[in-house]
Amino acid sequence: MRGAKSAKWVVGAVVVALAATACGGGDGDSKDKGSAANGGVFRMGSTEPDTIDPGRAHESTGILLANALFTGLYSNTPDGLAEPALAESATSDEGCTSWTFKVKPDTKFSNGEAVDAEAFARGWARAAHKAAASDVAYHFAGIKGYEQLQDGSAKTFSGVTTPDPTTIKVDLSKADCEFVLKTAHNAYSPVPKVAKVGEEDKAFGEAPVGNGPFKMDGSWEHNKAINLVRNDDYSLQKASLEKVQVTLLNDKTAQQLEYDGFQAGTFDYAHIPTPMLKTAEAKYKPQNKWFAKDTNGMNFVLPIGDNGPTNNKDARLAISYAIDRQAIAKGVFQGYQTPSTTIVPPAFPKAYQKDLCVSCVKQDVAKAKEHAEKGGLKPGTEIKFSFNTGAGHEEWVQAIAKQLEDVLGVKVKLDGKDFPGMLKEQQGNGATGIYRFAWGADYPTPENFLFPLLHSTSMNKDAEGNVVGDNRVRYNNPEFDKLIDTARSTKDEAARLTMYKQAEKMAMEDMALIPTFNRSQFRLMATDKFNGLDDINFNEDPILEKISIKK
Amino acid sequence: MSELATSPAIGDENPVSSASAPAEPRPKQLSQWGEIRHRFVQNKLAVVGLFIIAALFLTAAFGEMLAPFDPAAQDLENTLASPNGTHWMGTDALGRDMFSRLIAGTRVAMFVGLASIFFAVLIGVALGAIAGYFAGFADTLVMRIADVFLAFPLMIGAVVIILVTGRGITPVIISLAIFSWATVSRLLRSSILSVREMDYVHAAKALGASGWRIVRTHILPNSMTAVLVYATFNVGTTIVGVAALSFLGAGVPVDVPEWGNMLAAGQGFIGVNDYLWVFPSLFVVVTVLGFAFVGDGLRDALDPKLR
Amino acid sequence: MGRYVARRLGQMVIVLIGATMVLFACLFVLPGDPVGSIAGSDKARDPAVVAELKARYGLDKSLPEQYVNYVAKVATGDLGEDFVQRREVSDILAPKLQNTAKLALLAIALVTVFGMGVGIIAALYRYSILDMATTFFTTMAVGFPTFVIGMLLMKYFAVELQWFPQLGGDKLEGMVLPAVTLAVTDIAFVARLTRGTMLEVLRADYVKTAVAKGLPRRRVLFKHVLRNSSIPVVTYLGISFGALLGGALITEAIFNWDGVGLALVQAIQQQNNPIVIGVVTYSVAIFVVLSLIVDLLYAALDPRIRLS
Repeated sequence: MRGAKSAKWVVGAVVVALAATACGGGDGDSKDKGSAANGGVFRMGSTEPDTIDPGRAHESTGILLANALFTGLYSNTPDGLAEPALAESATSDEGCTSWTFKVKPDTKFSNGEAVDAEAFARGWARAAHKAAASDVAYHFAGIKGYEQLQDGSAKTFSGVTTPDPTTIKVDLSKADCEFVLKTAHNAYSPVPKVAKVGEEDKAFGEAPVGNGPFKMDGSWEHNKAINLVRNDDYSLQKASLEKVQVTLLNDKTAQQLEYDGFQAGTFDYAHIPTPMLKTAEAKYKPQNKWFAKDTNGMNFVLPIGDNGPTNNKDARLAISYAIDRQAIAKGVFQGYQTPSTTIVPPAFPKAYQKDLCVSCVKQDVAKAKEHAEKGGLKPGTEIKFSFNTGAGHEEWVQAIAKQLEDVLGVKVKLDGKDFPGMLKEQQGNGATGIYRFAWGADYPTPENFLFPLLHSTSMNKDAEGNVVGDNRVRYNNPEFDKLIDTARSTKDEAARLTMYKQAEKMAMEDMALIPTFNRSQFRLMATDKFNGLDDINFNEDPILEKISIKK
Repeated sequence: MSELATSPAIGDENPVSSASAPAEPRPKQLSQWGEIRHRFVQNKLAVVGLFIIAALFLTAAFGEMLAPFDPAAQDLENTLASPNGTHWMGTDALGRDMFSRLIAGTRVAMFVGLASIFFAVLIGVALGAIAGYFAGFADTLVMRIADVFLAFPLMIGAVVIILVTGRGITPVIISLAIFSWATVSRLLRSSILSVREMDYVHAAKALGASGWRIVRTHILPNSMTAVLVYATFNVGTTIVGVAALSFLGAGVPVDVPEWGNMLAAGQGFIGVNDYLWVFPSLFVVVTVLGFAFVGDGLRDALDPKLR
Repeated sequence: MGRYVARRLGQMVIVLIGATMVLFACLFVLPGDPVGSIAGSDKARDPAVVAELKARYGLDKSLPEQYVNYVAKVATGDLGEDFVQRREVSDILAPKLQNTAKLALLAIALVTVFGMGVGIIAALYRYSILDMATTFFTTMAVGFPTFVIGMLLMKYFAVELQWFPQLGGDKLEGMVLPAVTLAVTDIAFVARLTRGTMLEVLRADYVKTAVAKGLPRRRVLFKHVLRNSSIPVVTYLGISFGALLGGALITEAIFNWDGVGLALVQAIQQQNNPIVIGVVTYSVAIFVVLSLIVDLLYAALDPRIRLS
């Protein structure tokens, strides 16, 4: 949502045409050296990242930089299509448990070292190893040998082999016909030999040596800046910009500073603080510098499904019917958010099933009361509504709380705390009530919402019964599980998609998650000075490699 | 001093400044109340302050009758409305009437402010009396504990406590009290130390009065002046503390109509919808001034020499 | 003297130990797992990663063990590694301390110059318009809490007049508004204090004697009056400087000044405990050291005071 660093290990959109089969041997390469007649410095502000190591980067600035510095087998287009980058082909066996990637030959890291199959295997093992304690290690969980890397007993994936410098063979522990999509994530980047595997590697993270369209210009100057220069030896379409200056800002008011900087002409790109959206749109839309897009994130109210007042479908339906999403979008968000009616975001157009959540379409007081009656939500029932403070959620949660109270006669107890505190409570055995929640996809597939949030194995309960996985609604529906499992091992994309749609419908009928608002993003872009500022990528960042200065 | 407006004159003293003005406790004539009242009333600001406080109490007590709207009622059709004939101070991002919320906030402010000062004084007087009268080990122990709490910046300490307990009115009261009692203890201790050496105390001792009796009947009443002034003056400071905590996201729950919550919500709107933070600021300022004026007047009236 | 300082330093260590113990206890019982979530997202961390980080940072140990380990490490000058960026806490805090110190220096300079200046003038020209204006200003300043002053300054000087940038950065222009915000209340107090003590000293016998002796007015003013009336003021300035150096939570939050106060607020929200402990320990230490310095200074300025 509004916080500068909110849910942002986000990637992707849309199920992809090429998914399983090879996709016409990589053609994003046209090596015309003529397009280097360029230059220009692109200046932007961003929050101080947690890390820019490709094996660990997980929040907005980290992902922006990891993607500028590294290029993997696949990458995602702004419309959420995975397309080959350094992969010439990706093929799987019938059961989708074994994958073979052909790597484009003769490409180099910026230090001259070859980017071969071994460099990929190294990067993957490095990111998944215990010593990295990486927040994005879970992307490798499906590969054989992950457990041994996680407990530190191995330094390579037993499931990843490199028979020759241009071939990577991957064995999965479970069928995954969409594995190829995962390779577009920055965790799957190749790394050169200087990057250490199996030990904590801080030095590499301060000035990573990569193979991306840009390379580091000096080291990471903490809380000040990270500067990039064009990588003239880049093996795919070279960038046009000479330099990119990323000024590092403090989380708390980064957006305000970006906005101020844009107005003062010191930044060429900016986020906009929510209270300023109206003013900014009025001023910059006529100048064609205003950009708006619904991205692949979704906001939800997360009901605990196995305990407390929301332990039944009717109670959850009552809550959904009682929320007036339109009024909140218009009144509280000043029209800058759109109500959502699905679990899978509209940014995945092929999978999107508009108005699937009937109770989300329009507030319906009568139906809300009817379901409340059935679901045991008697007037006076106390429902705890928890949210994390200081991230811009204060207003809309109060609006929802009030609507629930007014419509259902329940007593909503708003509980704002810091994020770790809220998460712990939500995970706890015996958690009750509803929680603010947002989710963004890592890969462009609906599976990336449905499996982690709703599959029963994603609860991943620990010995004390705490839910340490992401299915914190505790949705447990064997039929749903079966659909997802089958889909994951179905090679045919259309058939797979149908199953995901069915599964989403099933979860929606059970009101497992209560959709609230789509993730809407707004930017200011200096279109008067640069070309290529007409979109943002799936990571919601400017597409640096496509930007060129106007002459 | 710190970021909370504090009064060096009476408030956050430090070990040495109290020594600098060797507060000779003046012998009191008992028929002094008339004179004190006279001096207080002559101070115009003090009278203004008294009126402000009276108005605040009335508002806190009868807020419902004064408020034109239900402070919790939202109107999503009419959010962020500028001040107008219906909503005198505008509406907030949820369409709630600002004026009604500010009035409701008065009760929260007064209650929390007075309650936390009350507890601070309670703890402070108890420990300060022990330290001042019994001296020796008890004194050292209490004063070192006081040092620990004094050394914690108020806001930092309070924020940490509230994180542990969760947001709420009681945690705010407790945390503010825990981090302000030490000043009271010190004030009381130093004034007891000087009172203890007064002739009438020696006389009482010689007459065989028990230690506790001496503390109760002689020392405490004569040492409480500074504490009383401090307390009055610092109700305002504490009210600011409550607002500051909410402002930092560690105060009372967000849906409670409280001035700090309103200020925090208005902060992002500087230059866009200024009434969102200007009116809550006004309430805070007037309140603090009210208590400061009375505190000042009280000090002058009780002890003209301190001026 | 030497013994006095030694004893005070000893007490200081006790206070520091007490303060860090209180803090440790608070952080330990804080609900939530400081390494349980991926910072900035709604995603729970992989349990294997959580276990690894807990072992790495010793969070799987008991509270007393953690405390002893921490103190042992701090004694060797090692503040440990933070939980979010996994960098040395001292590396993270060093530039922030500098920023806070810059702001504190400017603020205390403003307080000294304007506070004392206004106070002296008001005392010398007692009952003039200027004196009355000073009284009015100092009386009103008490009522304006930091956040109100900060927001007012931001509104008029950054948004309306655009004389200064709205948010800090680390340039001098960016420092002005936050420094003034911090200084306003103290200027009022110092002015009031200076005026009061000056008036008292002016009435003192030795000043009357000096004047009677026929010493030049200027000499009397500087040699006798100022020196003697500056004692409580210096005390106040010292303590105030200590508080400023400890970081200003609210001012730094309003102006996005990248100092220790802002770092603390953020670290608390993320339960980035090594930073929280680092900042608080530092603030407490600064406070205690400055009180000691002030007391010593005090003795130096006023020979009547004996330290014991």
